[in-house]
Amino acid sequence: MKESLEKAIFPAFAAKWKQQHGQVVVFQSSFAGSETVTNQILRGAPADIAILSIERDVQRLQKDGFVTADWHSLPARGIVNKTPFVIIVRQGNPKGIRDFSDLAKPGIRLIHPDPISSGGAQWSILAIYGSELKKSENESGEGERDNQRALQTLRAIWKNVISTPGSAREARTTFELGNGDALITYELEGLLMKEAKAPIEIVTPQSTIFSEHPAVVIDKNVTAAKRPVIDAFMQYLWSDEAQQAFVQFHFYSATNDAFNTAFGHIEMPFAIDYFGGWDKAYPNVIEGVFRDQVQRK
Amino acid sequence: MSTAATAMRHVRGFDVARPLSIGVLVLMMLPLVFLPLASIFIFGTSNGLDKFWSALMQPEAIFALKLSMATSFWATVFNVIFGLFAAYVLSRYNFWGRNALIVTISLPTAIPTAVAGFALLLLWGPYGTLGRLLTPHGFQIMFTAGAIILANIFVTFPLAFGVIKPVFDTMSRSLEEASATIGATRWQTFWHVTLPSLRGAIVSGALLTFARAVGEFGSTILVSGNLAGRTQTAPLYIFAKFNEGQIEAANAIAIVLALFSFLIFSVLFFARDWLDVD
Repeated sequence: MKESLEKAIFPAFAAKWKQQHGQVVVFQSSFAGSETVTNQILRGAPADIAILSIERDVQRLQKDGFVTADWHSLPARGIVNKTPFVIIVRQGNPKGIRDFSDLAKPGIRLIHPDPISSGGAQWSILAIYGSELKKSENESGEGERDNQRALQTLRAIWKNVISTPGSAREARTTFELGNGDALITYELEGLLMKEAKAPIEIVTPQSTIFSEHPAVVIDKNVTAAKRPVIDAFMQYLWSDEAQQAFVQFHFYSATNDAFNTAFGHIEMPFAIDYFGGWDKAYPNVIEGVFRDQVQRK
Repeated sequence: MSTAATAMRHVRGFDVARPLSIGVLVLMMLPLVFLPLASIFIFGTSNGLDKFWSALMQPEAIFALKLSMATSFWATVFNVIFGLFAAYVLSRYNFWGRNALIVTISLPTAIPTAVAGFALLLLWGPYGTLGRLLTPHGFQIMFTAGAIILANIFVTFPLAFGVIKPVFDTMSRSLEEASATIGATRWQTFWHVTLPSLRGAIVSGALLTFARAVGEFGSTILVSGNLAGRTQTAPLYIFAKFNEGQIEAANAIAIVLALFSFLIFSVLFFARDWLDVD
């Protein structure tokens, strides 16, 4: 996120605003994990806008009165960009991994961040579990979700996990040091690894989840004088120009699929609303399925 | 001034400095050591002893404690034997580079344990100097109990050596020389004369090493894989439960570890005479 904003979107918007209003916009930005950023704002960090990686954090900001406007009324329901979960394998794909279900085969060694501490790991669990549900729906013809099948796959995959680092970034480092045959992470992360010339391949699963990233105005902190520029910037985030900039930095555009050409094909994509939102996904899948039936078995 | 101070120290009858200094000592230790320890016990048992007991009886908790004990045990066995050998060599022979070796053995005390962890990953991982040779043969030690033992060995490396070497240094050579005079081989002398006088140092070195290894966290979390019920030691279990918000579960194991180290250090303290350590 940092690069796309600092290298493309901030300077482009600042130039535009200067041309139209003669004022210089100075961005002060701080980047950290979504939860950390949210906690900082809740404790009084004077942010005007936040771009977060998990909707639950927006809800926390709403609960304490920091976000008062209906953020879903923004373009694309307030989602500014997104990235799907994919499988990263070694160059040449020596273990022949084509989909999540291949990770369940005996002898595969998987690096997976710890779902208790890492948001990325929670996405990954939802990606695996949801993809099996999607496939079962598709195969049954009557749209029935086979929870048992999804549970069995998740269990078998978890047996192959050899290390659970604390964060998605730490998992990437562990994988880059040569440990494990596969890593589940954001496609964005995989594309960055490739850009850094890491000897890896990206495997796009048949069905996977999109991590969607909302942008919100911290209404409580925005003064009347700043309001016009804040609103203009928010509109700009969903403009074609900004959306294409996100694509250049490996995010999917949230507004226009015509921009999303440089990515692997996902047959059956889904998002968090497939589980009824984070409100339901966390207790039902992360706690109810993963923690109680997979990890503690 | 100095006469006044001297005079005060020699006051007969009630010596005010005694209760005062003891009081200050206890008071200083209160927020620094006693209360933090006490809060573990208070919090861990505040919901009743049955809650504490059921937290302790979780299969993953029991597994974590067992894994910690087993990996610490093997690290201790190794480090005591190594410490004995190193102390023998380094106090009996003088050679070029001897001081450098002594300093190197002591290094792990000052190196952050996280560094120890990733150093091991770099060495034994599939791209590492040793790992590159072993991985193709299907030998992968990282993310197994073996990795935990290696990490424990590294971080407790100097402890047994540090206790044993001074005893070696001050040991009178006359007994060994006498033994040699009556025809004992070097090995007999070592086994029947040198080793018994090191008994105390060996036991206390082993206890120190074991206690330190059981509590090891920073290096273990990097090399073990941290999988509950598979490669999660007791300190990692505590951290995982804390992250999950299950403070009671974390506390139950913390209490066990605290009692355990209390036991070890009590043995060290009270068995001093028997152990013959000064």
